[in-house]
Amino acid sequence: MHEDQMLVADTANRIFSEECPPEVVEQAENGIYAEELWETLNANGLLLAGVDEANGGCGGSIIDALIILREAARKAAPLPLAETFVAGQALNQLQQPMPALPITLVRGNFELSKSGLLKGDCSRVPFGRNCQSFLIAVNDANEQHKQPISLCLVDADQASIEQGKNISGEPCDRLLIKTEMTASRIFTVDRQWLNYVELLGAASRAVMMAGALEEMLQMTVNYALERRQFGKAIAKFQAIQQQLAVFAGEVAASKRAADTLLESAELNALDVAIAKARIGEASGISAEIAHQVHGAIGYTREHRLNQLTRRLWQWRDEFGNENYWQHYVAEIFLNDAAGELWQEITELKV
Amino acid sequence: MFQGMNFSPASLPPAVARLREEVRAFLAEETDWQPNSDFNAGASPAFSKRLAQRGWIGMTWPTHYGGGGKSFLERYVVTEELLAAGAPVGCHWIADRQSGPLLLKFGTEEQRHRFLPAIVAGDCFFSIGMSEPDTGSDLASIRTRAVKVDGGWCLNGSKIWTSGAHLNHYMVTLVRTAAASENRHAGLSQFIVPTRDPGVTVRGIDNLAGESDFNQVFFDDVFIADDLVVGEPGNGWAQVMSELAYERSGPERFLSAFRVLAEFVRCLQSSSDKQQRTLAGRLITHLVTLRRMSISVANMLENGEMPDTQAALIKDLGNTYERMVPELIRLQIPEQRSQALASALQECILHAPSFTLRGGTREILRGIIARGLGLR
Repeated sequence: MHEDQMLVADTANRIFSEECPPEVVEQAENGIYAEELWETLNANGLLLAGVDEANGGCGGSIIDALIILREAARKAAPLPLAETFVAGQALNQLQQPMPALPITLVRGNFELSKSGLLKGDCSRVPFGRNCQSFLIAVNDANEQHKQPISLCLVDADQASIEQGKNISGEPCDRLLIKTEMTASRIFTVDRQWLNYVELLGAASRAVMMAGALEEMLQMTVNYALERRQFGKAIAKFQAIQQQLAVFAGEVAASKRAADTLLESAELNALDVAIAKARIGEASGISAEIAHQVHGAIGYTREHRLNQLTRRLWQWRDEFGNENYWQHYVAEIFLNDAAGELWQEITELKV
Repeated sequence: MFQGMNFSPASLPPAVARLREEVRAFLAEETDWQPNSDFNAGASPAFSKRLAQRGWIGMTWPTHYGGGGKSFLERYVVTEELLAAGAPVGCHWIADRQSGPLLLKFGTEEQRHRFLPAIVAGDCFFSIGMSEPDTGSDLASIRTRAVKVDGGWCLNGSKIWTSGAHLNHYMVTLVRTAAASENRHAGLSQFIVPTRDPGVTVRGIDNLAGESDFNQVFFDDVFIADDLVVGEPGNGWAQVMSELAYERSGPERFLSAFRVLAEFVRCLQSSSDKQQRTLAGRLITHLVTLRRMSISVANMLENGEMPDTQAALIKDLGNTYERMVPELIRLQIPEQRSQALASALQECILHAPSFTLRGGTREILRGIIARGLGLR
C-alpha cells in the first residue's frame, strides 16, 4: 500500500474500532440501524471514496474504497457499505450525481414497459429497508447476451419492503416496485459493463472476508492464550496449535490474494476471481477452526466471533460463490487453446 | 497482525522475461529424459552438467567464486521453469539451493574456493545428512558423533533417508562433536563428508514407489580433516536453522503435483464438463496464490531478511496443496484421459506421502507457525 492508502486504512481503522464495538453490531441485528456510524463515516469522507467529486463523491480511487471496506469488515460494521460502493461506482461511471444514500444495485425480476412502467420484485435485497435509493437492473426479455440492459434509479418511497434477514443476521428484504419512471432516470448499459460493476462487488467481498479473517485469527489466538484448561492455557496444547497453524495458513493466503487487488491500479477480473474463490474457501475452513477453539462461548449470539463468522458465511455466497469463480478462472485458462497452463500462469502479474 | 504472516507483494524484475525464454528454449532442446512430477524423483549428472554450462547453477553466488552474481529472483525463475517442466534436477539441487549458500555464509575462504566453482561447473553434487535411524523430527537427538584427533575428527555413526548419496560427491552432515548437555542444541557441528571415502558405505533403500532414491549411509572411523568442518565446531544447530527459509519457501514445495494438473487441464480442452472445469479452476486459484506468496519470500531473501515463519507457512500450505491435487483430480478424471495424465497421477500418488515429510514434517512446520503466532 502507498503511504496515502495507509493513511486511509489507519483513519478507517480508528473510526471503526472506536465507533463500532460489538454492542453496535448487536443492536443493529436487533433492528436498531447504525445511523450514527453511518453519519460519522459520511462526515469523515469514508462513504464515497472512488466517486468523483464532480458527482458528489469524495474522490480518490476504488482501491481506497476497498481499503475502507476491509477495515469495516474487521469490525463487522452493520451497514450497506459495499452495496453503496458498487451502486455508487455504477452511477459515477454514468456521470450521474449521487442520489440519497444508502443505495444498492438490485438484479431481480423486473420489467420495464415501453410506456415507462417499472414493475417487479427481488426477494433478497441486503439492507433493503435502510436504502434511500435503488438502482434496478431490468431483465432483458430474450436474454440475448449482447442486448443492452436498462438501469432504473428509484427512490425508496417508490418501493415497498417485506422484511427478512439472511444468514449474517443483517436485514435482507423483499423489494417490490411498481412505479412510473421518468426517462432521465433510466440508463441503458451493456451487459459487459454491468458485469464489471458486479466485479466490484466480488472484489469488495473478497477484501472484506480477508479483513474479517485476520481479525478472527487474532481474536482466536488471544483467546487460546487466555483460556486455561487442565491447568494451562489451551494455546499450549499441540492439538490447538496445529489447528491454529492451519487457520494461519488460510489467512495468510487470503491476505496475499486480497493484497494483489489492493496493489493494482485497477481491478483485473482474473485476480478478483482468484481472490473471491480462494478467500471464500479459506472462510469456511477458518470459521470452523475459530469456533472449535473458542468452544461454546463463540456460539453465543453476543460474542464478536460469530458476528464475523456469520458475515463470512454470507459474503462467500454473494457476488458469486467459490464454484462460480473457480469455473470462471478455468474458462479463462482453458479457452486459450494455444496457451500452456504454465505459460499462462507465469504471464500473470505476481 | 502477526509479523510472520506478512507476504508483501513483490514483482519480478523485467529482465527475467528474457531469462525465462532462454530457459524454455533450453528445455525445448532437451530430449533424453522423461518429465517427472517430483523434483526429488529425477537425477541426471549429464543434465546438471548442461545446466551448468548455461550458468544456471550457483546463479546468485559472487562471480569471484564462479557464481553468476544474479539476484535471488532470477534464480527463482530458473528453478520454477525447471520444476514445471519436470526436469531431472536432483543431482545439483541441494548443492545449488543449500550447500553453496551455507559455505558462503559460514564456510572458510579456502572451502569456498574449493567447492563453489566445482558446484557451479556441474561437477560436484551434495546431499544432506540429518536424519538417523533413531532421529527424525527431533534432530537434536542425533547420535552420529566425531571425536577430535590430530588434524581433524574421527567420525562414526549412520544417517538415513539421504537422497542422492549414491550419486553425489559430498554430504553436509550434522554430527555431535561434544556430549549432549542441558542445552541439547549445543555441541553439534556440520561436516563436509566425502561420500566416496573408503570408510563411508552407501546402501540404497527402495521407496514406496519402488525407486532407489534415498539411502542409509554408514560412517566407520572416517577421518574428516579440520578443513572440512563448516563454520565453528559446536555451531551446527544455528547453521542448520539458518538454511530453513531457503529450504522451505521455494517452488518445489507446491509444484510437485504440477504435471498432474497440467495434464488434467490439457485433457479438459476437449471437455465441457462443468465439475471438471470447476476443479481445474479451484486448483489454479491455489497455485497462483501460493506462487505469489513464494515470490514474496524470494524477495525477502533477496533483501537479506530471514522469513522463517513465512517459509513454514508456504511449505505447509504448498504440501497440503500437492497432496490435494491428485486426490481431487482422480475423482474427476475425464473420460478421454491421456496416457500422460494417467501416468502422472500414478507417479504423484505414489510419491505423495513424502511431500509432507521431507524437509520438515507437517507437524513440525505447524509447530513453527504456532510459535510465530506466539502460542509457544
